[in-house]
Amino acid sequence: MRPAPCAALLTGLAIPLVLNPLNAQDSETTSVGGYGEVHYTNATGANTPGMVNVRRFVLYLAHTFSEKLAVRSELELEDAKIEGGKAGGEVALEQLYLDYLISPAFTMRAGLVLPPVGIVNEIHEPPTFNGVARPAFDRDVIPTTWREIGVGALGAIPGSSGLSYRVYLVNGLKADGFSAASGIREGRQEGREASFANPSITGRLEWVRPGLRLGGSFWYGGSANQDSLLGTGTFDNAVALVSADARYDVGPIMFRGILANISVAGADAINAVYGTQAGSRIAGGYIEAAYNVLSALAPASAQRLNAFLRYEHFNTQADVPAGVVKDEALARRITTFGLSYKPIYSVVFKGDYQLQRNKAGIGEGELLSLGVGYQF
Amino acid sequence: MGCPLRMSVVTAQLLLVLSLACYLSPLTSYFSPLAAQSAPPAKVAKSVERIFGTGIQVDTLTVDTVSVLRVSKGGTLLGFARVRNVKGKDQPITYLVAIDPQDTLKDVDVLVYREPYGGEVAYEPWRKQFRGRTTTAPLVVGKDIRNISGATISSHSVTLGVRRTLAELTAWHAAGKIR
Repeated sequence: MRPAPCAALLTGLAIPLVLNPLNAQDSETTSVGGYGEVHYTNATGANTPGMVNVRRFVLYLAHTFSEKLAVRSELELEDAKIEGGKAGGEVALEQLYLDYLISPAFTMRAGLVLPPVGIVNEIHEPPTFNGVARPAFDRDVIPTTWREIGVGALGAIPGSSGLSYRVYLVNGLKADGFSAASGIREGRQEGREASFANPSITGRLEWVRPGLRLGGSFWYGGSANQDSLLGTGTFDNAVALVSADARYDVGPIMFRGILANISVAGADAINAVYGTQAGSRIAGGYIEAAYNVLSALAPASAQRLNAFLRYEHFNTQADVPAGVVKDEALARRITTFGLSYKPIYSVVFKGDYQLQRNKAGIGEGELLSLGVGYQF
Repeated sequence: MGCPLRMSVVTAQLLLVLSLACYLSPLTSYFSPLAAQSAPPAKVAKSVERIFGTGIQVDTLTVDTVSVLRVSKGGTLLGFARVRNVKGKDQPITYLVAIDPQDTLKDVDVLVYREPYGGEVAYEPWRKQFRGRTTTAPLVVGKDIRNISGATISSHSVTLGVRRTLAELTAWHAAGKIR
């Protein structure tokens, strides 16, 4: 950023602070939270022994300097351990941002944030979704847990009842990571010395009623990263994502569903430069229904035993640029059914069985998963 | 290298718009220093007036060092109210529970919500589920209180808080500690 606007910005931010000094010591608090999940998985087929894994251990640390200023963070350890020369394992910051609550309609946020796209990216604690693993759609289409660095605002829309928004300006994706099977996933920069060549805008609008939450999200931004073979413009090789989702709980029955469409401009050039077979359009969604069996078996109980069925249908090569032959095995259809037992809302014991199918009928399989998870 | 310059201008402009919005938002009410985990007295008064109507008299009773508001009009008892906190994900949620002289819950208000997510518990369509309940109601999310999907922690916290406060007020009323 050039010095002049930067100085103007800092002055602009400082004036309200100076005019209205915040009483820091009045309400300074630190809170610790977290979530974790341990999985057992066993796939069908030869040479696929059952596996157990400490999938995620996440520490949430928040500090409020005053009622208006807070820092919130999530530090994640994946697969229990990292060791040089061995695959797997990751330590990563999932979130790290400052919130400045100016009014209920306007909280300013800056730092490593979660693009507010879809259902699972922002709310990904194990007790909040059915199935041991997160939906495959929330890995290969919406690259969960997606986090990038930026600034933005969020809040309730004044005068409305139940409408809220979030909008951020963040660093962009990098096209060199795009792939046929994982879409834009490896194009994320995740807050690690990220290039700011392609600032991107992402946002979400939500409408809430008791039992119902509807949302629409978007992401728009270039991905060329000033690679002279692609383009040096801010919005060159733009990635445009739109999605719509719904969650509806009625008595013991719960529904959720999402649809998303991602288009990648100039995918032919990306493939030519990086030698990938990435699609020019990635699309799909899922629908899930769940029923709390205990509402019939033990109506007095506040515990839950959710039986669920989810159907995912997505393709990371929904469209391909000229010269790329579609791999029909990427047109995936995944059916997952199982149980989630929740003695309290923040603890879950899960089991599910997954049928992995695709249009080509190649590499299909089935997967049994068991797991435990918690959040606090 | 024209791009970084162009973007820096866009970025700066966006940030300036954001900072300008700081000025435009009602600073006086939001920047006044608040005592930790409490609601401004004016907000409590407004809430009580919304629930019980105008022209009321509000007295503060003390039960075991705890303050309870006694609401009356022209010498007739209209009910009681209490302001409490319950922990959300990382911040207290300050709420008010009001009952009538028959210990029936008149209304719940979320006075101060401090977290970036889950603020929908303050919306009337959700809060009104508590109206008319007594201690005989389970007041459990997923049974007689509908969840707000995506605001599970807040829904459970406020529901638990309301259940406890209603039980407390009812017990104190029965024991003659508030009258």
